Parts: sequence; structure tokens; C-alpha cells
Amino acid sequence: MRAMVIDDSRAMRMILKRIVAKLNFEVTEAGDGQEALDLLSTMTEVPELALIDWNMPNMNGLEFVTKARADPRLREMTLVMVTTESEQSQIVRALAAGAHEYVIKPFTEGAMIEKLALLGLVPTGASS
Amino acid sequence: MSVDVVVNEDDLAEMVEQVWVSYLDPEGVSPLVPTGDEAQTTEVHSSVSITGSWTGHVVYASSTAAARRAAAAFLAMEDGEVSQDDLSDVLGELANIVGGNVKAMLPPGCFLSLPQVVLAPEATTIYPSAERITGLYGTWDGEPVSVSMWQSRSDLKKEEDTE
Repeated sequence: MRAMVIDDSRAMRMILKRIVAKLNFEVTEAGDGQEALDLLSTMTEVPELALIDWNMPNMNGLEFVTKARADPRLREMTLVMVTTESEQSQIVRALAAGAHEYVIKPFTEGAMIEKLALLGLVPTGASS
Repeated sequence: MSVDVVVNEDDLAEMVEQVWVSYLDPEGVSPLVPTGDEAQTTEVHSSVSITGSWTGHVVYASSTAAARRAAAAFLAMEDGEVSQDDLSDVLGELANIVGGNVKAMLPPGCFLSLPQVVLAPEATTIYPSAERITGLYGTWDGEPVSVSMWQSRSDLKKEEDTE
């Protein structure tokens, strides 16, 4: 399985990368939505999972989700917002745009793995 | 429209505890210990601005040693391996996380800026049209760490005018 981590913070990318790498994902990184789209356009195999921050320079996470959902090539990719934007209205906007799940920072490793398990991307109980 | 801000020191303490448990002290052996010492000296700081129905800033400040340790924890490296870019990145993310959670407690219609990091004491940055309204001051393994909220004076004046 492959995952893409999209966040302008290298530290947060590192944390997310550690978590999904433990679950045997091959991980690529991007610092914003535009960089992610550029990278995806060069890939022959699209990652099954994208973990996406909301507030980023150049192209934010919501724009990325909207564009990814409109691209037939990326339609199968599971999109998880990982963000400090925790208001109900923001969560609704992200889900309406096409995000599959929403994780609010700060999150523990166990909480992230549980979310991925709910999406069927890791075996249930992998966090324990 | 004027809004009452309901975020207080206890709320900041709860948010900070979540950050510590999630990233900086997952074993729960080295929490941030509140001291209430507003005069403590910090050496680096980061902030995010909030605009909209509430206007102001959320500021994270610490000693360089505490920032280095935080960066090492985030990046899974030794303190001595942490570069200045690492410090800036982690300080910015800490302000972003705390600021985002503060925003969630404010009235709807607020927007969060990208973080700004200054590798210099908090006292070197002046928020000329804002006033500190609450803060959490403590130590992490003896090193000073604080989170404070600054509200726009024009926002505060509107609140006074409506009272």
C-alpha cells in the first residue's frame, strides 16, 4: 500500500510518516496541495491514502481535496484531513468536498491508526 | 458585533496537555508544570493570528532548550541534531495546533493564519494593538514554556461599549 502525507510542517509529516510506515505503507511527502498534485501527476501508481493538512501555503487542503475528487485518476484515493480546523462547519465542508475522514490535531498514534482501521486500510486492533 | 471570549487558562492547559500527550511526552513522565510565572524569560516564540468574529493572536514561547527538545521529540532525533530550520518548523506547528484549538472555542466565523516564528524572545515582538487576556505559564523539565492569548484592543473596546 502507498500513502502520501501532505503538510507544510516537516515535523508533522515526519510524525504521520512514522505512523503509516509502521503499517507498511510506502510513503511520499508533499509540502502543500499543489506540490502533491504535481507529484501525483508523475506517478504511475496512485497512493491508496492521502493524509492532508488544511492550512498550507500555495494550495490548501480543502482545494486539494476538491481537485483530487474532480480528477478521475485520483478517484480511488482515500482522503483523510489531518488538521487543527476542528469546527463542525469546517468538518462538514471537508466531507462535502470529498474527504473520507477527519482527524483533529493533536492526535495520538493510536487514534490515527483507529481511524485508518475504520476506513479498512489497516487491520482492526493494529493500534494495540 | 462584540463577542465574549470564553477561553481561559484552564482551557489552554487542557490543549497543551493534549499536545504533550500526543507528541512531546507520550509516556506521561514529563508534563508541563504550571507555575503561573508571567515574568519567566523565554528565548524563542511562534504565533498565529486569528481574524473574524474575534481578532487577536495565540503565542507559544519557550527557552531555546525547550524548543530544541520539542523539535527532537517531533522529529525523532537527538537534541544535538536539531537545526534552526527544525526549531522553526516545530515552533510553527505548535502555535498552529494550539491556535487551531483555541479558534474552535471562539464564536463561529474566525480564520486562522499560517504561523509566524521568531527565534528571539517574545518580548522583542510587540503587538501594538493587542492586549494579553490570558496565558498559561509553566516549566517543562525546568525550562520555561508559555502559551498566551492576545486580543485586539478594538475588539476589547467593542466588548466594553456593549456592556
